[in-house]
Amino acid sequence: MQWAQTIVGCLKAVNIRFVNYLPDAMGEQILRLARNDPHFDLLPLAREEEGVGVTCGQALGGGRGVLVMPVSGLGNCINALASLAIPYKFPLPMVIAHRGDLGEFNPTQVTMGQSAPEILHALRIPFFELRREDEVQQLTEGALRLTYATEGPVAVLISTQVAGWKE
Amino acid sequence: MINRFEATQYLAAKLTDELVVASLGNAKYDLFNARDRPRNFYMWNSMGMACSFALGLAMARPGEKVIVLDGDGALLMNLGSLATEAVRGPKNLIHIVWDNRAYELTGKQPTATAYKTDLAKVAEGAGLDQSERVESLPAFQQAFDRALRGDGPWFILALIDQERAKPPRPPKSPTFIKHRFMTDLGVQH
Repeated sequence: MQWAQTIVGCLKAVNIRFVNYLPDAMGEQILRLARNDPHFDLLPLAREEEGVGVTCGQALGGGRGVLVMPVSGLGNCINALASLAIPYKFPLPMVIAHRGDLGEFNPTQVTMGQSAPEILHALRIPFFELRREDEVQQLTEGALRLTYATEGPVAVLISTQVAGWKE
Repeated sequence: MINRFEATQYLAAKLTDELVVASLGNAKYDLFNARDRPRNFYMWNSMGMACSFALGLAMARPGEKVIVLDGDGALLMNLGSLATEAVRGPKNLIHIVWDNRAYELTGKQPTATAYKTDLAKVAEGAGLDQSERVESLPAFQQAFDRALRGDGPWFILALIDQERAKPPRPPKSPTFIKHRFMTDLGVQH
C-alpha cells in the first residue's frame, strides 16, 4: 500500500518516534510498516482518549508522537483535545481512518464518520482528507508542518478512496 | 487515614529532578502548596488523563522518574490506562492515587471506592505487579521511598481523609505551566 508507506515516510522525516494507536484495518497498513521499522516505538492503547494524554505527555518531554486511530475514536477524544491538547498547546498529529464514509457497510459507523469534519471544525482543529494517492505526500507533510507551527492538534483523514473499504 | 497534604509534603521534600504530574483538583492544589517547582505539571481539566499523560512523559524521558498524583475519581474515568501502563511497564513511572472515596470538590459525592471498588486490586489485575494499598503515613512513606529507589512501574493507592486542600491555587495559565516545565527540562520548543 503505497499511501501507507508515504505516510510512514512523512512521520519519519519530522522525527516522530512514538506511534500511539488503536488499531483498525486501515490503520494496520501503517502500523505493520512501523512495527518493522526500528525507528518507531509503538504503544497500543485501550481507548483512543488515552492517546491524547500520552501524546501530549510525550510532547512535554520533548518527544514526538502520532495518534493513529479510526474515526470512531475521535469521538472518544473530544474533551481531552479540548481541555488538554488545545489550551496547553501541544502539537498532536492524528492519522485517522475515515470509516463511516464512502463504501461503509456498517450503519453505526456513519454518524461519527459524517460528523467528524464538523466536530474537527467546531474544535478549530485543521484537517486534511487524503482522497488520492498522489496527494498523500503533500497533505501529510503539510499537516505535520502545521501541527508543529500551531502547537496544536492537526488531523489527516484517510479516505476509503485511497485505502479501499471493507467488503 | 492519611492526610493528603502531609503525604504530599513528605514526597515533595524528597524531590530532586523528578517530573511530577498532578491531576486536577486537590492533588494539584496540595502539590503546589507543598512545593511549587518548574517540573510540576498542573492539569486543570481532562479528568482521567493525568496517568496517560504521565505515561507519555515517562516514555519521552527514560532518564528521569515520573510521578503522577492521581485521584480515585479521575482514575475511575480511565481504568483502561492501567492495562496500557502495565503492558508498557515503564521503569521510571510511579503512579500514586489519593483515594478519598469521593468527588470532594463538587460536594463530596461518593465514588465507587467508597463502596466496593479497590483500585489497588484493579491495578494488580491490570498487570501492575508492584501495586500496594497504604492506609497510614508511615506506610505511605515506606512505599514511596521504595518506589523512588527501585525500578517501576509502581502503583501506590493511598487512603486519605476528605480534607480539602487549602488555598492559594496554582497558576492556571496552561501555556505558562508548559513553558516553565519544558524550559527547566532544556527541551527545544
